Amino acid sequence: MLKIAIQSKGRLADQSRALLNQYGLEFSCESRSDKVRCTKKNVELLLLRDDDIPQYVERGIADFGIVGKNVLCEKSANVRIQESLNFGQCSLVIAVPKNSLIKTVTDLEGERIATSYPNILRAFLERQNITGAIIELKGSVEVAPSLNLADAICDLTQTGTTLRANNLRIITTIFESQAALISAPTITASLQSFL
Amino acid sequence: MKSIIQPTILKGTRDFFPKDMAKRNRVMQIIRTVFECFGYDTIETPILNPAQTILGKYGEEGERLTYNFTRGDTRIALPYDLTVPFARFVATNFRELPMPFKRYQIQRVWRAEKPQKGRLREFYQCDIDIIGTRSLIAEAEIARIITDVFDALGFKRFNIEINSRRLMNDILKRFGVIEKNSEIIREIDKLAKTGEAEVIRELEKYGLTASKGQELLKLLKPEANNEITIKKLTDFDTSEIEEFLQRCKEVGVNVSLITFNPTLARGLDYYTGITYEVTSPDVALGSLCGGGRYDNLCGLFCNENFSGVGVAFGFERIMLALEELNQLNDTQPNSQVLVTLFNKDSIPDALNIYNTLVTSQIRSELYFEPSKLEKQLKFAAKKEIPFVLVRGPEEAEKNEITIKIMKTGKQKTIPLNQLTTYLKNYA
Repeated sequence: MLKIAIQSKGRLADQSRALLNQYGLEFSCESRSDKVRCTKKNVELLLLRDDDIPQYVERGIADFGIVGKNVLCEKSANVRIQESLNFGQCSLVIAVPKNSLIKTVTDLEGERIATSYPNILRAFLERQNITGAIIELKGSVEVAPSLNLADAICDLTQTGTTLRANNLRIITTIFESQAALISAPTITASLQSFL
Repeated sequence: MKSIIQPTILKGTRDFFPKDMAKRNRVMQIIRTVFECFGYDTIETPILNPAQTILGKYGEEGERLTYNFTRGDTRIALPYDLTVPFARFVATNFRELPMPFKRYQIQRVWRAEKPQKGRLREFYQCDIDIIGTRSLIAEAEIARIITDVFDALGFKRFNIEINSRRLMNDILKRFGVIEKNSEIIREIDKLAKTGEAEVIRELEKYGLTASKGQELLKLLKPEANNEITIKKLTDFDTSEIEEFLQRCKEVGVNVSLITFNPTLARGLDYYTGITYEVTSPDVALGSLCGGGRYDNLCGLFCNENFSGVGVAFGFERIMLALEELNQLNDTQPNSQVLVTLFNKDSIPDALNIYNTLVTSQIRSELYFEPSKLEKQLKFAAKKEIPFVLVRGPEEAEKNEITIKIMKTGKQKTIPLNQLTTYLKNYA
């Protein structure tokens, strides 16, 4: 049986299902389980936390996965992107409080930057030859500056609404993301034909 | 006036400053980490040895360069390399050792050389050996370790030249050479240095006519790639080279880094199979690592016969190369943080912060006197400590601390209880 891993809930969950539906892979919505059988074909859906999806695919537990490129890049898993899926577009940006003295990327030197993407941020700072304290948070990154936990944040934004609501201003975009279909680095011919 | 002793050191020996040692330890640690990743344990052998352990193993020249002296009735010698002490160690202890036995050894050796650049009287060698197996998997493992070490050290380009002493002997036999193989191989090794004409002239001394010599060199000259070189030698037994390259590929060695060079000799007589030599086109320092398969290395010390394979990394040359390639400029000093003393009253507070930092395993130090801040900052600059902590009454009042980032001079004031998070996650 073919297994496809998608996000259980969150930004990409609904559109991932919609995409599979388009290709005739329909799944019942009622199931509360983390595994859902396709109603017609011999396919099973694994409903996972999005940052676990790359590892499931890398280890061969799922044959395919649908996940944001932001997650892929952060986790640096050994998987292959089969296709960019043209939904779930968003940007990973660095933002600061509107009244901050930090105006440009160079001003970040020595500052505290809160993020859920420490690896991408570290690589970015290294490329820019900037050093600073990376404060890792699992969520609600946008409130960190107002709580004096950080001077800047590095977070995903789709429309900018959350940033605006927290009085934050984007100073740079470091990564453009969208959903992608991933597989193990090498796949069998039958999986290839399924694609 | 009181008489003083001239504070000198011997020629060919060195003092290492903390900064030098930081670099040396960093390089050693990288090398050690790779060795340990492949399951190598380390051993240490004595510096003071009965002279007969060391003497008489390195030819006339080596004998002259070996440090030895008499103490009481005992003639004592210092190690000239790590191979002979290792052979002695195996001969003494093979019954207790798990066989095959592999070990790494990083120790000082002594040679009474005429000191010059890159040639010292006291220096480090860095050896790995696998003893007690004839399997070519051991040779491939050594090749993998070589590539991992030079990769980890940051060499962008390097090349492992390999040859087979067995194949060489086979070829020489067909050319009618039955003795003096080692001398001939040594002459061939000079090809790159002295040129073809000179080598052919020298070979005549060993009974090879000029035309035979020419034919031999033509046969041995490495071709554009390993496949072509092997194909050219199809009349001879190249199976060792082929199996070795195949095993290398299987164990994940980037085979494009390996050049099969049938003229490669490696001076030492005791090699019997695959030999290695590593160079980098980016530094003109010659061989950075070399070695090969040997049989019966312990034969002088015991009746047992052990076949082994090993290489020595030229630690001092590797250091010179990395300095030349600017790979060590970012070596960090030990201390990351200096806790300053604002005034005498602030000592308990500073000690408390110091306590928090060291408890969190942040490498830090405390200034010992409540001197002027300027003096404490100068100390930090001289020691290249990247962060200096300052906490005056104003910061104490608000329960904050100021971090001066020495590289940029920028000062950052944050809540005191965020200090360890800030420093630990600084990237």
